[in-house]
Amino acid sequence: MIRLASLILILIGLYGVFSTRNVIKILVGVNIMELGVNIFIISIGFVNGGLAPILTSGSFSSALNFVDPLAQAIVLTSIVIGLGITTLGLVFARKIHVNYGTYDLSKIGGGSDD
Amino acid sequence: MINPVFMIAIPLGLAFISLIFKKASKWILVAGVTINVVMLFLLEWGSVAMGGFRIPYGIQLMLSSYSFTGLAVVNIMFFVILLISFDKVEKNSVVLLTALAGMNGMILTMDLFNLFVFMEITAISAYILSMKGKKPEHSFNYLVLGSIGGVIFLLGTIIFYAQTGTLNMAIISSPVQQSAFDFSSATLFIPFFLIFAGMAVEAKLIPFGGWVKGVYGNADRLTGPLFSSVYAAAILFAMGRVFGELFVLNETIVIIVVITGLITFAFGEAAAFRQTKMRRILLFSSIGQSGLAVIMLALGFYFPAVLLIVNNALSKFIMFTITGKLQESYGTENYKELKGAFYKNKMTGVAFSIAALSMAGLPLFFGFYAKLNVLTALFGGGNWFIPAVILIFAIVEGAYFIRLLISLWAPGKEGEYADAKHAVETRKLFKPISVAIIFMLSLVILAAGLFPDFAGKTITSGAKAPFTMSQLKGGE
Repeated sequence: MIRLASLILILIGLYGVFSTRNVIKILVGVNIMELGVNIFIISIGFVNGGLAPILTSGSFSSALNFVDPLAQAIVLTSIVIGLGITTLGLVFARKIHVNYGTYDLSKIGGGSDD
Repeated sequence: MINPVFMIAIPLGLAFISLIFKKASKWILVAGVTINVVMLFLLEWGSVAMGGFRIPYGIQLMLSSYSFTGLAVVNIMFFVILLISFDKVEKNSVVLLTALAGMNGMILTMDLFNLFVFMEITAISAYILSMKGKKPEHSFNYLVLGSIGGVIFLLGTIIFYAQTGTLNMAIISSPVQQSAFDFSSATLFIPFFLIFAGMAVEAKLIPFGGWVKGVYGNADRLTGPLFSSVYAAAILFAMGRVFGELFVLNETIVIIVVITGLITFAFGEAAAFRQTKMRRILLFSSIGQSGLAVIMLALGFYFPAVLLIVNNALSKFIMFTITGKLQESYGTENYKELKGAFYKNKMTGVAFSIAALSMAGLPLFFGFYAKLNVLTALFGGGNWFIPAVILIFAIVEGAYFIRLLISLWAPGKEGEYADAKHAVETRKLFKPISVAIIFMLSLVILAAGLFPDFAGKTITSGAKAPFTMSQLKGGE
């Protein structure tokens, strides 16, 4: 169920990116996509009723009781990369606004280089 | 013997140091790139397990002959670009060092998620460098497409991980795993396709490469050669690794990759023919070459693919650098307005011509040897449709490059003899030392074309299949 929800989020994000020409809204769309993927990654490692993957005094009856730590490590890296890209995207958005006075990509362009 | 991880660690570490010592950052950049080029020849070959973990549990770096060729192209070309366009670095030393670390990582790593991280590092530095074109809307476009590609690649990687339980490409394609999973199944086709689509954005394949026109079309003397020769080589070498390890397992994805590559090649060459701006011609030619290299990699013909990548890296460097300088000096890049620009700058002109003729695949040049190998491999594989398409569009490629050369060399009107009076005014292009470096590189193309056996032997070792089980245990 949670995986389905994350895939729907990815598709919503994708729709958001391609349905608007507003720079900020496009970035929001990209962020929703990243969120969807991050939830998907976490859902891969999740074990219902599982233990944290650290040395605990609980029972060690089976390694299958542990939540997969790799997925959590991956999602951490992925969040950081997403943050970096969003920041850079906002910098570009600001530059676009400074240069053209608008956030709307459809109002830019048509110049000699397009 | 030096651990290959220093190819990544040293530029990355120096990037942080140059943040502190801002005034010296340009010289730190030069030092970093020089150290990398020297270190290249002292590296310890084979497989390296990171962090002391055994290989399936830790990240694995692999310095095989294949990845060595990739490292050599990336680091040496990076060094040469820096030599010639050092004045254009401005405040981008940190970005350039990070880019170098990311590209070396992409070529060396065997881990899918690690590959994603390095691809993102490389891509982020490319977004920042593309801002040198002073067109934020194009950089933004690149950023959005690139990050969607990244997200898709990550999704594919994770589905792969969920299904096979490992991220190490070598382990996934090992015989044990192959007997445990049905790799030709439709369920595994989805992650394959997602991974391919994610990489295709960076590799400029149609329809994923919508950003290329804006970014390459506004690239300057530093970023143009950097994107078209170094970045392109890095992503193609990484793709070769993924194709060689994973995509061989599924026939459907190979067919899709080949069709995408073929469409890209045809579109790139046809679009280049219609352009009059020199950077546009070169960028569409880059798209075409990328498509061709992807076809060869997907079909498992590593030797011709590596030849194509090397030829493209050398030639595009020369052509983009000279085009960038022409644009700087004359303020235009329309070749019709640059008639006879090489009339008085003969050395530069000869270097440009050698690069262009090599790209066009004329005999005596390295590009001919590359194309010959491409066609031989394809015909040898019993295929006639792909080589037929390639041959047709290779003629188109030859036509637009020769048309470009005629215009730049022979200042004349239709039906008249070429004469200096029709030429544009002579302007000084490069410093003598830069001309010498560019000319030397063009001689490398010529020499590699005249003595293909020697060049072939050097590259043959680089084109061995990127993986065998014995390499996993270390050593070639």
